Amino acid sequence: MNKALKLFGIACIAAQASAALADEGVEFFKGKTVTYIVATAPGGGYDSYGRLVAEYMQRNLPGSTFVVKNMPGAGHIIGANAVYASKGDGLTLGTFNTGLIYNQIVNQQGVKFDLTKMSWIGKAASDPRVVVIAAQSPIKSFEDLVAQKQPVNFASAGPGSASFVETVILTNSLKLPVKNLTGYNGTDDQLAMRRGEVVGSIASRSSYATFIENGYGRFIAQIGGAEKDVPQLSSLVKDARALELIALVQSQGDIARLTAGPPGIPADRLKTLIGAYKAAMEDKELQARAEKLERPVEPAYGEEVAKAVAAALNQSDETKKLLAEALKKDK
Amino acid sequence: MIDVMFGSLGALLTSPQTMGLMLIAVMIGLIVGATPGIGGRLSIALAIPFVFGMDMTQGAVFLLTMHAVNGTSGQISSIMFGVPGDGDDAATTIDGYPMAKKGEAGRALGASITASGVGGIIGAIVFAIMIPVLEPIVLAFSPAEFFLLAILGITFIAFLAGGENIFKGMIVGLFGMMLATIGMDPQTGTARFAGDYLFLWDGVSLVTCVLALFAVPEMISLAVKGGSIAAISMEGVNFSYRQIFEGVKEVPRHWFLALRTSIIGALIGMVPGLGGSAAAWLCYGHAVQSSKTPERFGHGAVEGVIAPETASNAKEGGSLLPTLFFGIPGSSGMAVMMGAFLILGIQPGPAMITKHLDLVWTLIWALVVGNLIAVTFLLFITRWVAVLTFINATMLVPFIVVLVVIGAYVNEGQWENLLILVAMSMVGYAMLRADWPRAPFVIGLVLGRIAEESLHKALDLWGLSFFTRPLSLVLITMIVTTIVFAIYKSRRPSALANMQVSA
Repeated sequence: MNKALKLFGIACIAAQASAALADEGVEFFKGKTVTYIVATAPGGGYDSYGRLVAEYMQRNLPGSTFVVKNMPGAGHIIGANAVYASKGDGLTLGTFNTGLIYNQIVNQQGVKFDLTKMSWIGKAASDPRVVVIAAQSPIKSFEDLVAQKQPVNFASAGPGSASFVETVILTNSLKLPVKNLTGYNGTDDQLAMRRGEVVGSIASRSSYATFIENGYGRFIAQIGGAEKDVPQLSSLVKDARALELIALVQSQGDIARLTAGPPGIPADRLKTLIGAYKAAMEDKELQARAEKLERPVEPAYGEEVAKAVAAALNQSDETKKLLAEALKKDK
Repeated sequence: MIDVMFGSLGALLTSPQTMGLMLIAVMIGLIVGATPGIGGRLSIALAIPFVFGMDMTQGAVFLLTMHAVNGTSGQISSIMFGVPGDGDDAATTIDGYPMAKKGEAGRALGASITASGVGGIIGAIVFAIMIPVLEPIVLAFSPAEFFLLAILGITFIAFLAGGENIFKGMIVGLFGMMLATIGMDPQTGTARFAGDYLFLWDGVSLVTCVLALFAVPEMISLAVKGGSIAAISMEGVNFSYRQIFEGVKEVPRHWFLALRTSIIGALIGMVPGLGGSAAAWLCYGHAVQSSKTPERFGHGAVEGVIAPETASNAKEGGSLLPTLFFGIPGSSGMAVMMGAFLILGIQPGPAMITKHLDLVWTLIWALVVGNLIAVTFLLFITRWVAVLTFINATMLVPFIVVLVVIGAYVNEGQWENLLILVAMSMVGYAMLRADWPRAPFVIGLVLGRIAEESLHKALDLWGLSFFTRPLSLVLITMIVTTIVFAIYKSRRPSALANMQVSA
């Protein structure tokens, strides 16, 4: 009896010890499956980055298995809601559009997440925004665009999308002579520029890389990014309000392709995940693969990303009003 | 030009490694295509890690063949069980499944598989011919033309319903268009009839509707009736390669239709913006409309199998064109393909013709050879597959229903679609019992969305004057002709019937 009790006691201590050990970061993920939610359908930028991140994080978390799950729909809101609602045990992570910051600022219908409470793992890229003009247009520079007498057509994705919001707030605050035509999803905008029905677009630089290389258009201004070949939009305008909004758009571009988990991931596991993410981003092989995909890697990690997200969410009432108007466009 | 053309064919056929990869690609493509719910797009996304480090040509051939033969096997479950894998295959179901019910599964499969192959090959030929004139043609289609093309497709509903049923057909078509308005308003960005149900924001799932409207009602009716899908006993059928070969011969018998629908399919694939399902449905409508005996459609007309299958394989060749030469993908599947091309070091754009002409030709030949391999293989195994239609319902129905449920869930990964599946299945079964046509619904759903979006864009761009664009006028003429023709046709048989009564 006594002996049995003793054995039981030892067993208990052993079990506790192993549990404590298991909670300690790396050990925890051994033999575990981590679900990585991508808020878009397979294919495209988020999916490519997501699959790269998942594959290389798995390599850097020995014994773990990463499974990519595509949860498309409602402009990334479904995927972001799913990440936010998952259990905060470190076994669910995900990626979604940074543009959801806009949706949260105006408290949009359907949003069931709070970006400030999410566990931020990191971001993989900077995706500066550019003003693109079709090659056949006489508009050669930002000054040319501002000087247009008649409004010119710009294409953006559907209302509520990040591309739409950015086009609306920038054209409004800069008073650009631009008519925003919506519903150009995917690469429809590029084709529309080739057809000549629209003159330009405000888009992410990476999505237009091939278009420019083929000589179909030119960049006339850029927001954020380290490239020196295009003038920064902030250097071309003086209005303080406009500069504030340009800064907001820039912060969006700076924290692109992010990876986040739900609130409440235990600190040691979060630290391990951030470590694995960092090791993945620093992997030369991942960098080479991303390079080939024309998907540049410019990472930042954990706390730094959390701060940037919080800063972007903290906007003046005026900006909030402008965003609300842009997101709730009613004709 | 000629030496590059045949040089690349020779290189392709004489490289055992490339041919081996192609064989593997064909098998993967066929398996993925036959599984409901898993699209070709996912299979390319998953295959991308494997092509890293592959030779440029081999990797591209591998992915392209895998993608190209996807549609060839999707029809198997559409014809045999009335379970379409996706929106394109649904068009094949309408006449393919009634053929299976008549015990002609072998003939239907023979015809559809051959049609797929022929479509794929003609698509490749159209690809080759179109290279020099690609730019003006692709750029001629703007939202104005998309709108009118969608309207043209919708007018085909009049023929699908046929004669007496024209009003039923219109009601069902309008019901489809009504459901197409659910989701994010493309113009204002407000959620219509969707509220907080995020899964409805992108519209009602097409695959779920198609499964609910076609597959589930047929399974219920089979379960109620008992017996097997094929309504006649197995002894009565000469169940051999001969029946399948009968089906194969249907394609040359309808060669002109196959040629037309292949070309239409390839052209639709070439012009980004209309979407893949539109190709199969427009061509199905065209087959009915151009038939001398449209009343046979829906009851097992072999042309109703040939037309959508040629179209859906031909569009793959077409959609590769803007992807390769503009760097602007023609479909979501091609968008993934373009990502893979970049990894392989292929830079899509106009320079492809000058720099990589040999690769372009290799890809064209890969489309041809891949389709041939797929067709040969499928025709060979079809004999055993077709036997399944003679299995007793009690054994078959549960299995198919599981397939349907998985298909509805996996396609978008949202469980709410299962509720839609149940609700729409009831509607579908009611329509089946009351003998209402179901195809117009899918046409309304697919084309209604395109019509709405492009109409908004066209009005924003040009106002009402978009109707006077030259290509618009051509399309308007086609629409008017179609309507007049439909009225004429629908009046004639009834006039004939009246005469018989009075006589």
